[in-house]
Amino acid sequence: MKKVLQSSAMRELLRVLIAITVALTLGFIITVLVSDDPIGAYKSFLFGPLTKLNRFGDWIEESITLIFLGLAVALVFKAELFSLGQEGQMVLGALAAGAVALFVPLPGYLRIPLAIMAAMVVGFLWGLIPGYLKAYLDANEIVSTLMLNVIALKIYEWLLTYSIKPPDAGYTASATFTAEGTMPTFFPPIPFLGELRTLFMQQTNISIALYLMIIATVVVYYLMYHTPFGYELRMVGANIKFARYGGINTKRTIVLAMAVSGILAGLAGAHVAGGIHRKLILNITFGLGFEGIIVAILARNNPLLIPFTGLAYGYLRAGADVMERTSDMSREMVLVIQAVIILLVTAERIMPMIQKRIRTNRAQRNGDPPADAEVIPAKGGD
Amino acid sequence: MTPIIEMRDIVKVYPNGVVANDGVNFSVEKGEIHALVGENGAGKTTLMKILYGLERPTEGEINYKDRLLELNSPLDAIDNGIGMVHQNFMLIPSFTVAENIVLGEEKTRSGLIRQDQAVQDTESLAKEYGLRVDANAIIESINVGMRQRVEILKTLYRGAEILILDEPTAVLTPQETQELFKAIRALVDQGKTVIFITHKLREVKEISDRVTVMRAGKIVGTLKIEEVTREGLARMMVGRDVLLSVDKPPSDRGQAVLQVHDLSYVSDTGVQMLKNMSFNVYAGEILGIAGVEGNGQTELVEVLTGLREASTGAAYIDSRDILQADPRVVRMAGVAHIPEDRLTNGLALLATIDENLIVDRYFRAPIKKGFRIDQGAVKKLGNRLIEEYDIRTINGQVPVSSLSGGNMQKVIVAREFSSDPKLLIAAQPTRGIDVGATEFVRQELVVKRTEGTAVLLVSADLSEVMSLSDRIIVMYEGEITGVFPDASTVTEEELGLYMLGVQRQDVEEMEAVL
Repeated sequence: MKKVLQSSAMRELLRVLIAITVALTLGFIITVLVSDDPIGAYKSFLFGPLTKLNRFGDWIEESITLIFLGLAVALVFKAELFSLGQEGQMVLGALAAGAVALFVPLPGYLRIPLAIMAAMVVGFLWGLIPGYLKAYLDANEIVSTLMLNVIALKIYEWLLTYSIKPPDAGYTASATFTAEGTMPTFFPPIPFLGELRTLFMQQTNISIALYLMIIATVVVYYLMYHTPFGYELRMVGANIKFARYGGINTKRTIVLAMAVSGILAGLAGAHVAGGIHRKLILNITFGLGFEGIIVAILARNNPLLIPFTGLAYGYLRAGADVMERTSDMSREMVLVIQAVIILLVTAERIMPMIQKRIRTNRAQRNGDPPADAEVIPAKGGD
Repeated sequence: MTPIIEMRDIVKVYPNGVVANDGVNFSVEKGEIHALVGENGAGKTTLMKILYGLERPTEGEINYKDRLLELNSPLDAIDNGIGMVHQNFMLIPSFTVAENIVLGEEKTRSGLIRQDQAVQDTESLAKEYGLRVDANAIIESINVGMRQRVEILKTLYRGAEILILDEPTAVLTPQETQELFKAIRALVDQGKTVIFITHKLREVKEISDRVTVMRAGKIVGTLKIEEVTREGLARMMVGRDVLLSVDKPPSDRGQAVLQVHDLSYVSDTGVQMLKNMSFNVYAGEILGIAGVEGNGQTELVEVLTGLREASTGAAYIDSRDILQADPRVVRMAGVAHIPEDRLTNGLALLATIDENLIVDRYFRAPIKKGFRIDQGAVKKLGNRLIEEYDIRTINGQVPVSSLSGGNMQKVIVAREFSSDPKLLIAAQPTRGIDVGATEFVRQELVVKRTEGTAVLLVSADLSEVMSLSDRIIVMYEGEITGVFPDASTVTEEELGLYMLGVQRQDVEEMEAVL
């Protein structure tokens, strides 16, 4: 049995590697077709994020956002709830954190935690809404969360334009946060790094959000696998009828899953507001709201894998960014390459799911499958 | 006599490494009724799927009428006169009987289907083989017995000479079973050959000419029916002695644990599924509910366990009304429930065995410690129950989907029995599981009852209801039509009359013993 597992894990790894190789080759072909200096351009794509400290910083910062969002998605997906509301929760999280950072006259050590808390609470509340709609009114969560995203975004833009923007500002953005409202950069004093540590703190915006992210990952993992709530969440996802039969309050679980997921998306908002931009701007999510889905799917909704898939996906995005800025490749082509890679890698993820579904369907059609098959029909005599 | 079909050295290895058939030699003679028996996972369905072209053998060959048969799909099998009637009927519910029978082989005139011809063909075919059907009836509106006859006619219409029937009696009443047997005999008289897959040993004795027993992918033996006894067959199937009848000490009836008063239930579609049901279940007794499936048993169980909301009435556990309570409250009141459909309600297939075992207790000590689930305690409970209930698995951390049907049921039984219930509601507790597991579940039910648990048993298997129950209620169209205070004195035929609604007892007569 162990041998089988090992070999299938090996096969899995091999498949991912092949998918990535094919994807990168395709990307290179596109580059060759479009660019005058394909090798230089592709090199900047592959190694760009590592060539300068500030690029490295950009990579890590964006990855932190992606990881928060990936955790948010994993939580709801694990319960088989296809909430797409991270974008809206993130925007309102940024708004709440930004409002505290701008307007609450407290010293930094109180104001920043308060800003983070505010983002979490708002994310939670904004998640409650589709949760209730789903659990008690049977509203499709895909539709409701998408609509709520629009509402959240417009509330944000409205408040930003008419209340938060300083009257004399030339473009739609808030004032820059003061130090009391900005997440401080912090790099642990590791002995041998010496000089590098100061460089890091000066040249990158990697803030305490990094540690928040690590804590959040561990908390989500613990919540999912070591608490009654996590058990309820997973059972609702595994088979909601079984959960109900077993006495789990499935409605409460649905509502809470959506709301708790909102906390993490809210944190992503706090990070982009207080850690990256240090002010509220239009389009503050940068379209990242939906990217958490890819991060979560790549990690198979496993919280402990999400930091890795988040970093990998963040690297891809950062590389594309560098290519766009340093070569003759247009933004459009860069996005095409990025999309091709994602498509192939997630297809590798999705293929087994489809195969499994086909197998199960076939087994159900044909009566009883072999003893170890996925599903064994209940009909039968004696 | 020369065999019409000879399957030689059949080996079937599934891609996941499971050896379903391991060097099987199986032959059927023309004009015989050949029973194929074995436990779940013994490989009999796989063998028949190979014969019907649904699966390709890894090794081995099939000889049919003295020539090699190459089957790439069921279409090839049908072309060669091999037909199969599946366990789950494959009919289109909204079509008529005739439309279903000619489906795919419709006779047409200028591109249009000739309905009249279909009806005519159906009627003449039905007459020829003595399989009574109403050609113009919609499938949805006819009962299970007739649906099965439609399935058989469908294969005959396609020219089947060999019919494979996969557990055909699982869903039938005794009367319907007898009718089916009559039809099978008529088919054989007309020169057809029938292969009959079943779990029910009594039927093997009754209908078949020869019987082949399979165990763990191999043939244990093929015997003439005169040469075997039920006990002998069971031993061949399981590989050890099996107690076919349940040894049941006399009932020591105690207090009423469940008291149901005037319970009614109207479904969402407005159909009255339960009508004014009143009965008690006492500590230390098994109350069996007999009835053809679909007469309200499912609804009754789901209403009592909090999965559906009853329309009117009351149901007391001790003195507490549990009728409109949610499943958690019902469970906390001391009710355990073995659900009818174990794959939909009873288990989360992709979750581990351990996770499936704690669904009714993860929120309290000893599983919950502080605000977390104590994984150590979960494992301990899992290991104890796996051992106690003999669940065949490497450990409790594998998904339930990796288990066989019988072992899946043991997971449910382990969870529900170990919760130490006052009332145990068991719906179809042995459906679709093999002889060994069936024996185990039945014995455990009797043990619980003898320890003083009140047991409400719902089963479509009449012999199960009769052998396990102390008292029997018959349900017909959502009503209690008969009560038998001493289950040991009732005959199957008598119950059958009540199950079909032919007879019913007076209300006063019943109330005295409810």
